[in-house]
Amino acid sequence: MRERVAMAYQYRLEKVGKVFGRRQIALARIDFVVQRGEKVALIGPSGAGKTSLFRILNCTLRPSSGKLWINGDEIESLHGRRLREVRRKIGTIYQQHNLVPRLKVIHNVLSGRLGRWSAFRSLASLMRPLEVELAWSALKQVGIEEKIFTRTDELSGGQQQRVAIARVLVQDPEVILADEPVSSVDPSLAASIVNLLIDIGRDTHKTLLMNLHSVDLALAYFPRVIGIKNGVALFDLSPDKIDDRLLEDLYSGHLPPSDQEKVAHAESNALAYP
Amino acid sequence: MRSPTLSRIPKSEKSLFSYLFALLFAVAFVDGWRRAEVNPLVFFDAENRGNLWKFISGMFPPDLSSDFLSLMIRPALETIQISVMGTIIAIAIGFPLGILGTRTFSIGGILNEADIQGSPLRRTWRFSAYFAARGLLSLFRSIPEFVWAFMFVRAVGLGPFSGVLAIAVAYGGMLGKVYSEIFEAANERPLEALQSTGASKLQVFIYGWFPQVLPNFVSYTLYRWECAVRASAVLGLVGAGGLGQQIEISMRMFNFHEVLTLLGILFVMVAAVDYISAKVRAML
Amino acid sequence: MSGSSGEKTGAAVPWPAHEVSGRSNLWNYVFLLALAVFFLWSYWGSQVQLSLLFSREGGGQILAYIQKLFPPDLSGPVLREALQGAIETFAISLMGTLLSAAIALSVVFFASRNLIYSGLLYEMEPTLGWKRGLRLVPYLAAKGLLNLLRTVPEMLWALIFVFVVGLGPFAGVLALGVHTGGVLGKLFGEVLEDVDPQPVESLQSTGASKLQILLYGILPQVLPQFISYTLYRWEVNIRVAAILGFVGAGGLGQRIHIAISLFFENQLFTLIIAIYVLVTLVDYLSAYLRRKVT
Ligand SMILES: Nc1ncnc2c1ncn2[C@@H]1O[C@H](COP(=O)(O)OP(=O)(O)OP(=O)(O)O)[C@@H](O)[C@H]1O
Ligand SMILES: [Mg+2]
Repeated sequence: MRERVAMAYQYRLEKVGKVFGRRQIALARIDFVVQRGEKVALIGPSGAGKTSLFRILNCTLRPSSGKLWINGDEIESLHGRRLREVRRKIGTIYQQHNLVPRLKVIHNVLSGRLGRWSAFRSLASLMRPLEVELAWSALKQVGIEEKIFTRTDELSGGQQQRVAIARVLVQDPEVILADEPVSSVDPSLAASIVNLLIDIGRDTHKTLLMNLHSVDLALAYFPRVIGIKNGVALFDLSPDKIDDRLLEDLYSGHLPPSDQEKVAHAESNALAYP
Repeated sequence: MRSPTLSRIPKSEKSLFSYLFALLFAVAFVDGWRRAEVNPLVFFDAENRGNLWKFISGMFPPDLSSDFLSLMIRPALETIQISVMGTIIAIAIGFPLGILGTRTFSIGGILNEADIQGSPLRRTWRFSAYFAARGLLSLFRSIPEFVWAFMFVRAVGLGPFSGVLAIAVAYGGMLGKVYSEIFEAANERPLEALQSTGASKLQVFIYGWFPQVLPNFVSYTLYRWECAVRASAVLGLVGAGGLGQQIEISMRMFNFHEVLTLLGILFVMVAAVDYISAKVRAML
Repeated sequence: MSGSSGEKTGAAVPWPAHEVSGRSNLWNYVFLLALAVFFLWSYWGSQVQLSLLFSREGGGQILAYIQKLFPPDLSGPVLREALQGAIETFAISLMGTLLSAAIALSVVFFASRNLIYSGLLYEMEPTLGWKRGLRLVPYLAAKGLLNLLRTVPEMLWALIFVFVVGLGPFAGVLALGVHTGGVLGKLFGEVLEDVDPQPVESLQSTGASKLQILLYGILPQVLPQFISYTLYRWEVNIRVAAILGFVGAGGLGQRIHIAISLFFENQLFTLIIAIYVLVTLVDYLSAYLRRKVT
């Protein structure tokens, strides 16, 4: 019965925690569900655990505790081929771009196809790029098609970020996890990139989760915003319910005494502001 | 998001150099294959396989009799001693030549900015010292230690001393070259500051230059010492003492079980030396 | 240098004195003493007679020998021999170095922990189990093999291969290839162990297989360094190839051996000049190519 319910969700997290090494707690306890096609922004201070959460959601890291279902599959049950299949359907835009610096842009973009390509095809493409048209149109969407044959380490930070976005476009996944996709571009470009990702998500019914340092962008573009702090979800609301006090709580270094209770509450309930 | 759009996908171009290089490489490869008489099939030849088998089976069991082992102690220790003395003299050769051969010390860089401009005499002198040092270093390191050993055996006679000299000269050349590279990589700003206090060049070197590069300096020297141990084990082949002589004798007499023992000794020695030098490096 | 910190401790020091004096200080002296003993022992054992070098008699011997080398024999046949020897030596070094790169490449991927055993690529796998244990076997085998290849010097490998495949340059190629294969295997392994994991992570998250991650994420990062290490070892190998002939493995060394044994000092000098020229050329070529790849 429960499994059936989970099937309807893209993601379902139950008490997910992540501890690095012995004591470095990146995520304390996260519960939420994300429906297919939903658009969610995650905000929160530096070190809150947003990136760690994404690395769990894209099957790079294994949660240290709790349970995670992706599309109805419990991730503990995924191995080998099945695991790769699930990874293929989740595209990630990394905060640090995570591109291979010495490869040409086109190879970095086409590496989004690897989940679909055979080993032989991937090797052949390194010699003489395959599916150039695809890479070209993806790069065109982010506005840097003229860099297609440039070496990636010769690009500026913002251009590299757009290459990473083009890679996800080429991957054509069901879920896009975008970790700070606009951290190194100018404000107007930032808005248009967020817009682009949301449009693509809408047109092709993709689920979109985005970490943002810019609260304005999050509130302006997303119907649902989750605030994360110290490895727990402080709130999970639609933007019109988010007021300055909540944001102050989220970003303040030391919480005022009256709010301490709420955090205690948050830790037991995961959602302080239901 | 708009940019001056290209309507057509541009071609990615390969440089002329890469074609030319590929061609040259192919020629060298084919010609090298022929000249070096490369022939992978030799391992399928019955006689060669028989030899291989004779060698491998002959190694077991290794000769661990106390007679043989006690005979080998001295050459083994001698190998270490040769490597140590060789390296020390190599430092003595490489260090001064390395300093003179450092561009930023002798003829260029901030330290010579004001000094060298005015005086043609001084400039000639510095330039000739610099090029002489570089030339000597290049000569020393380009002739393999083995050939040096042979010549020293002729010049000063058989025995470990020729081995020491061979390592000293060949490694002196290598050390000197790398020392000068290490010196050149040092940060010049502290040197400038020191010089502006009125320190002499030598003082600048001792206070500002050498301390900066000391870890690299020691580390590379130790690495060379590790190489010297292997080299001095081999130099025995030309009668310059050490373990090599024994290995050649055993090999020529087809006493492969002794060869295995000797290789074991060599292995232990090299491991011990690697361990010691890793310890010293960690102390830095 | 390490003793210098001790000298200041006598004065009134403005910093906590125990940090510079005391135990560490004592150890420094013990260490220096041990070092001195070690050096003296080596001095005594290696029969170094520096005085000999500077004495009239010893110095005279060396000078006399140098005089015998002059002038180099530049007659036609000798020059032709030298040229042929040089080309053969070049060929041996080239083939040997290529063989060594092939050996290193085929072993090193098994010998690097982060590719075969643990780390990012294995995060999602159960932490225990027989599969993990099984992966340890090729890892340790590869490490052991590389160690074995590296420990035996080229000249000894040459002795062995001359016995196995007979006299000639091919024995030299094998000797160079096998020893250098071990050396490069170790160097390549170190490069592999510090690849930047971020691109690897992102490739894995697109659903790429281990082989594809190797092709797209790891090789592009490491190949330039692999190439430059290989070129660097080529510089070493050209020197070794020049002497392998002493044990019958072809090249200039064979001719040098003959010239030395027959006391043809003038021919020897010609051959040494040939070595010098060849080695210098290869050094320049390799340095040039290394600049190109990085
Ligand atoms: N591989 C790791 N090993 C150890 N600790 C880690 C590791 N990755 C993250 N952490 C720690 O986990 C915590 C959460 O890090 P995370 O990168 O998820 O934060 P974040 O919310 O993405 O921050 P930012 O907004 O600055 O990107 C931090 O305290 C960080 O130091
Ligand atoms: Mg982050």
